[in-house]
Amino acid sequence: MRKNKWVLASMVLAAGLALVGCGESTGSKEKTTAAAGEGSDKNISCTLTLATWDVTAARTFDELDLEGRFQELYPNVEIDIEEFSAEPEYFNSMKIRSSASELPDLMFHKSDSMYQYEEYLTDLTDTEANKNNQIAAEYMVNGRVLGVPDRKTNDYVFYWVDMFEEAGVEVPDTWGEFVEVSEKLQAYFGAKDPDYSAISMGAKESWTTYPFMEYGPAAESGNGYYWDSMTEEDKPFAEGTAIHTVYGKVYDLFGKGVFGKDPLGITSDQSKELFAKRKGTMTLSSPMFLSDYKADGYDPSGIETFYLPFRDDDSSEFNLVTQGDCFLSVTEHSENPEVAKAFLEFYFSEAWYPDYINHISSDSTMMPFHKELDEVLMTAPELQPDVVYVTYGAGKSDFINMVSETKFDCKELGAEMLTEGFDFNRRMEELNQSWTDARKKLNLQ
Amino acid sequence: MNRFNKKRFCFLSLSLIIPVILLCVFVVYPFWELIYMSFLEWDGVASDRTFIGINNYLQLFFKSPDFWQAFKNNLTYLFIHGLMMPVELLLAILLSSKFKGSGLVKAIIFLPFIMNGVGISYSFSYFFSPIEGGFNYILTKMGLEHFIQSWLSDPKIVNYVLSMVSIWRYMGFHVVLFMAGLASVQKDMMEAAIVDGANVWQRLRYIQIPSIRTVIDFMLFDVINGSLQMFDIPYIMTAGGPNGASNTFTIYTIDTAFKFNNFGMASSMAVIMIFMIVCVQLVQKYITGQVRRKESSND
Repeated sequence: MRKNKWVLASMVLAAGLALVGCGESTGSKEKTTAAAGEGSDKNISCTLTLATWDVTAARTFDELDLEGRFQELYPNVEIDIEEFSAEPEYFNSMKIRSSASELPDLMFHKSDSMYQYEEYLTDLTDTEANKNNQIAAEYMVNGRVLGVPDRKTNDYVFYWVDMFEEAGVEVPDTWGEFVEVSEKLQAYFGAKDPDYSAISMGAKESWTTYPFMEYGPAAESGNGYYWDSMTEEDKPFAEGTAIHTVYGKVYDLFGKGVFGKDPLGITSDQSKELFAKRKGTMTLSSPMFLSDYKADGYDPSGIETFYLPFRDDDSSEFNLVTQGDCFLSVTEHSENPEVAKAFLEFYFSEAWYPDYINHISSDSTMMPFHKELDEVLMTAPELQPDVVYVTYGAGKSDFINMVSETKFDCKELGAEMLTEGFDFNRRMEELNQSWTDARKKLNLQ
Repeated sequence: MNRFNKKRFCFLSLSLIIPVILLCVFVVYPFWELIYMSFLEWDGVASDRTFIGINNYLQLFFKSPDFWQAFKNNLTYLFIHGLMMPVELLLAILLSSKFKGSGLVKAIIFLPFIMNGVGISYSFSYFFSPIEGGFNYILTKMGLEHFIQSWLSDPKIVNYVLSMVSIWRYMGFHVVLFMAGLASVQKDMMEAAIVDGANVWQRLRYIQIPSIRTVIDFMLFDVINGSLQMFDIPYIMTAGGPNGASNTFTIYTIDTAFKFNNFGMASSMAVIMIFMIVCVQLVQKYITGQVRRKESSND
């Protein structure tokens, strides 16, 4: 396969190969496969460009011969993968290319970026891929499906079972218990090792705070579209709001020293290494962490998972934030939109999707293709079977505009909370003020 | 016009027109676009762009403390690089004298400049790491544990640490430039000064420094330009953190454009940056001109 590597990345390889689990009826499978072969002239000769920021997925495309499989349907169509090493670089490049009408034929999106690129994306509402997708319709942009998520994912707390046993702590079920467990671990192991942290989190890159800062408000409120509801308020950070409450809890946790001596001084890679060396007992991340962990040559034996509890007591609902990710879209800049659509149908059909989804760590979004979780991830639903799934949206147009105006970045705020002298109440007040001003400026009041 | 003159006219016209066209296409037009964009509200993606006059500039100057913080950080680099210039000059004088192994010392000093900036930044990032970091290890081995700090995460010191990395990287280049300047000082003038009994300081003050004034001018330009556009070292080592404490003008501009989707504002920052560099250059030129005039009137 011809690969156009924009940025060379020396990152992970795809994780273990699992058997394809097919839970739904064969009828719908046949339908998806048939849809992949419908549409434009099969003998058309062209090149489709497909851009992604997911290095692991790009390797899987290569390993499973995405191009070769598509050429069984369209023999003269080449697939040109444009691989970016990270999401920010990917979207930086796409922004430049959108203004030059040079977007690739197919590109992946996050749930919020589809709002920004709305005018450049083709409506996929009528595709079989959308119809067979569990969550695509939940991410409609102004009544149209502009991207079909190829995975859904939720976060886990990865932990060393034997370290929990040694310190005499158990998997927490409430936020209070989680704080208590973290403190006990820090006191027990931190006494022996000054480099130890109960929770490994390299906050030098602020994105690592996302399980707390980005998902926290949605989990606390049970509203996956919490960011959008904030655009309707002048003072969304006021005391008593879900975001104030959850950020207050997180700030309190950050102040307890359970992230080690200097979390702002270490990177996410370093924190992963420290966790692997058992200089950390817990780490919060998506299933991608597990793929990376294995790809880096570490053995995951002894690691189990649980869901991060944000609730304050056992009687409250255990909200678990889950979100669709990597939304495959067809752009209006494509010279061969019909072939691009046919590729999208193929991508989510039996000819490609089951093998692909079993190669990556995240969960399937396609109703006909069920996927068994990795055994490390299986422990979380066993320990906490009664979770309430909260589908997360990263924010619609109004929220994106508010972020531009106020420069509010929840993950940066998380890193800020770890700095010395951070004044929580004053910061919340500042955010309220800038939010009010921005709403006025954007005529949202 | 005879045939030869006609050909000459054509050749000269083409020689002039082609560079002018290239200049217009690649410099003048983008610059004009940049200025135009700085008066717009535009997220960088959508096709609609709203003209908002000088609002971006007003917001930057009066409602963006982060902008001033980034500018202050740039000034830290400028100040420290400026402070190091005399040290670099002294090193250049020292290395200009021939001694055994001087070639090796010169090569070692120059080496960081030819190394990849990204690689240097990554290396120092690990060097200053709080866990298993080389610098803390050295301090510990020397019995200086009490000097250990959060080198890259303490807002009070982070800019100084990053400035030192920048010094480490560019010092060799500056020393070599000074050495090239010193090599051009007329030997007979120096010998005459020695015969007249001028000491080292007097030779430096009255012969060497005046002779390398062009090099100093260039170096000042390079330091000002480099400090105000500092990017790779803070971007890789701290990404502008913690909490924007090590943000520089360029990082802030990039974040404004790409992270916060405000291309209009980012364009206005770029325009301000160009304006600032031109202003500082004019001030520098004025001051050095005054010094020269004063010296020539003294002569």
